[in-house]
Amino acid sequence: MKLTNEEINRYSRHLTLPEVGIAGQLKLKKSKVLMIGAGGLGSPLGMYLGAVGVGKLGLVDFDVVDHTNLHRQIAHASSDEGRPKVESLRDTILAGNPNIEVEIHNIRLERDNVLELFRQYDIIADGSDNFETRYLINDAAYFTKKPLVSASIFRFQGQITIFAPESGGPCYRCLYSEPPPAALVPS
Amino acid sequence: MLPGVVGLIQATEIIKLILENGVPLIGRLLLYDAMKMNFKEVRVRKDPQCALCGDHPSVKELIDYQAFCDIHLPGQVPQDDIDESLYELTPLEFKKAFDADSSAVMVDVRETFEWDICRIEGSELLPLSKFDPATSGLDPDTTIFLYCYMGKRSMLALKELKRAGFKKLKNLSGGIDLWAEEVDTDMPRY
Repeated sequence: MKLTNEEINRYSRHLTLPEVGIAGQLKLKKSKVLMIGAGGLGSPLGMYLGAVGVGKLGLVDFDVVDHTNLHRQIAHASSDEGRPKVESLRDTILAGNPNIEVEIHNIRLERDNVLELFRQYDIIADGSDNFETRYLINDAAYFTKKPLVSASIFRFQGQITIFAPESGGPCYRCLYSEPPPAALVPS
Repeated sequence: MLPGVVGLIQATEIIKLILENGVPLIGRLLLYDAMKMNFKEVRVRKDPQCALCGDHPSVKELIDYQAFCDIHLPGQVPQDDIDESLYELTPLEFKKAFDADSSAVMVDVRETFEWDICRIEGSELLPLSKFDPATSGLDPDTTIFLYCYMGKRSMLALKELKRAGFKKLKNLSGGIDLWAEEVDTDMPRY
């Protein structure tokens, strides 16, 4: 795999960083990241991962853009209302960097589709908004041996960590062995 | 703006993993508080008792996550013999029945910040977080019309009233959100 002249020019400020260089930029180009959620977290995440040149991004979300999303889900414009979020986010990412591949999955992540999907990617990014999906993603990432970069937000607080049991770290279940009781789950 | 900050930290960690450079957030949980504007780091360790990645795992394949997450507080009654459909009214039925009963009381069980956004004229606020039939001041002989945002919380309040001996109860199916669509279209939605 090589970088085109256009890519060398585009990423030139990366290429002059010794920590990245041509070798690092090629690593980015070869990498495949699957993002769960194309909303508040997925918007900036996808836009930046696309802009820096991650070769392939997978987007999973089954929701459509709603008027109440626009104030924080910055990849979606007012004109995107009613469109599937994965399509809207894909278009925004590709407008920023047409060199990369964006694969959209307008589906709900389920027990019977998650493993096959995870196997096609190197890294999983969880930006989902419910406990069911978080446990599903954690278990599937563990079974497919993929590092899981997890982020969640609630009101004015955010949490970020990487679950990589393969590298000696904990998994989501090590931190939260059981989901909170249904009555305490904010809706 | 919070998701922007958090999403970009997530992006940074992904790039570091790909470049195999820097110190990754493995075994560390980063907590960001926008109001206090501070970051805290908590060390998190692998749990040898973990059901998935522990020494003797019990989760060996994907499970039914809906069932796993659908648990209830101890002491909370998970199932009851109350047939919810007997109490549900559509927004138009709800309005008609309330307007026809001059002694009826309408109760909004949402929280104060929701009440501040919009409310149904003639209702009183009794937030579910502090809801207690005994101290509610409600009269068991009058008809109580209940509503919330989507109709679920008001059904919880309705069941509490039912257990406390109230008999004449109505619930706004679809909550104030559907009311704003079908009855009062000038009402702001959130």
